[in-house]
Amino acid sequence: MRTDGTLALLDRWGRAALPGTVLLFFVLLTLAPLRAPYISDALPLLPALVVFQFSLATPERLPGPLLLALGVLLDLLLGGPGAPVGISALGFVLIRAAVVANRRYLVGVPFLFQWIGFCIVCWGFVALVWAFTTLWTWAPIDPVPAMLQYVVVIVIYPLLAPLLARVRARDPLNIPELSRGGARTGETTP
Amino acid sequence: MAIRDDFEVVAGQVRTVVQRFALGLLVIAAFGIMLVGKADTVLVEHARVLALDVASPVLEAIARPAAYANRAIADLREFASLREENARLREENTRLLAWQTAARRLENENEGLRSLAKFREGPEASFITARLVGDNVSAYMRGALLNVGRRVGVAPGQAVVTGEGLAGRIAEVGENSSRVLFVTDVNSRLPVLIERTRERAILAGDNSPRLRLNLVQGVAGVQTGDRIVTSGHGGSFPVGIPVGEVVETSEGSIRVRPFTDFSRLEFVRVVDYGVTGLVGPGAPSSPPAPPGGTAVRSR
Repeated sequence: MRTDGTLALLDRWGRAALPGTVLLFFVLLTLAPLRAPYISDALPLLPALVVFQFSLATPERLPGPLLLALGVLLDLLLGGPGAPVGISALGFVLIRAAVVANRRYLVGVPFLFQWIGFCIVCWGFVALVWAFTTLWTWAPIDPVPAMLQYVVVIVIYPLLAPLLARVRARDPLNIPELSRGGARTGETTP
Repeated sequence: MAIRDDFEVVAGQVRTVVQRFALGLLVIAAFGIMLVGKADTVLVEHARVLALDVASPVLEAIARPAAYANRAIADLREFASLREENARLREENTRLLAWQTAARRLENENEGLRSLAKFREGPEASFITARLVGDNVSAYMRGALLNVGRRVGVAPGQAVVTGEGLAGRIAEVGENSSRVLFVTDVNSRLPVLIERTRERAILAGDNSPRLRLNLVQGVAGVQTGDRIVTSGHGGSFPVGIPVGEVVETSEGSIRVRPFTDFSRLEFVRVVDYGVTGLVGPGAPSSPPAPPGGTAVRSR
């Protein structure tokens, strides 16, 4: 058995905790009074973006129960009286499941395809949350702010995603099976 | 040894089952949480307040640099229109000075008449100044988080005002944090008066920047530009806080623009009016101090 030094241990812990911590940070950032001019009404769905990107890069470090907990936290902090608590959690879990199930089409492909994938998955998320909130509160809710939110996060994706994608290990074969996508042994080695 | 092997086999099987149905279990858990939230609103309320209290110091740390950045951006944008702004302000200043003279005269007159009529004013309001530490603006709600809570006397239902007018009311209160529901939120209903006609109405939000005015006594003589103020009905709000002005009157729908600029809120005041919620006529309240210089004699 290999013995690890303190630094190596810290490194491993840091790696394991990074996606969760980043997601927590973005959950809190959603509430921060950052007021971009003209889009102040519709805050971008950055947590959904983070969940998508990390599910793509390191799903094993972003387990479902953690997503559930952070989604509930987001709902508790953001939701007003009467809003369903747990809808974001459901959305996060489904985003992860959708990404993991479609790794073939999303990992190791040109960035444009990942972007299109995000457009589709995020559309599902927004539609789900809107439909549930409408049904839950049984009140007609204007879908336009949700659409705006969606458009903003789609536009932001190319700016933020490459940064978040850096958590992924360099060599796609040096990582656990779940993160490897469609790559087979010998596929990427020269 | 055999027992241990058996145990490992069973544990392995359980793990496989859990992994296979992980998604299903998580989805069921999410639905479970939603149902619990629907059934037990008190529990959810407690959880919300707890989350609020835990998150508010972190949010406050984020809010300060964010406020600086926002102010810097606003400064830059104002710099471009400095000249026009200056001219506009000068003009407004002359107009306001005229109003000030009128207000002074009316205040004196009012005081005199009140002392003649032995008029007792409502309870004195006190203010708690608060910093906005978090936005609660999403596609489904309009609100904010404040860094004051029960410890300094904030209670649900209190009015939240800015220099321009009413911003909203306190919806949830934690130990050191609270949540404001803006008047523009879809859940907001506010009893108001049309200042000119003294007609009663209900001002409702629908998550858009404009408010909807529902008249109690039918559409009679509401004009564009009419000021809307709180009516004080319901007890927890002081009378006469400006809320907004009518900007659009068409058949069946009257739209009101709130005076408060919600995109620039940084500090607000929570009005502690001494009474919260509906209070019966015999409720004990401390006798207000008589207006300056006039003694209201009680027999």
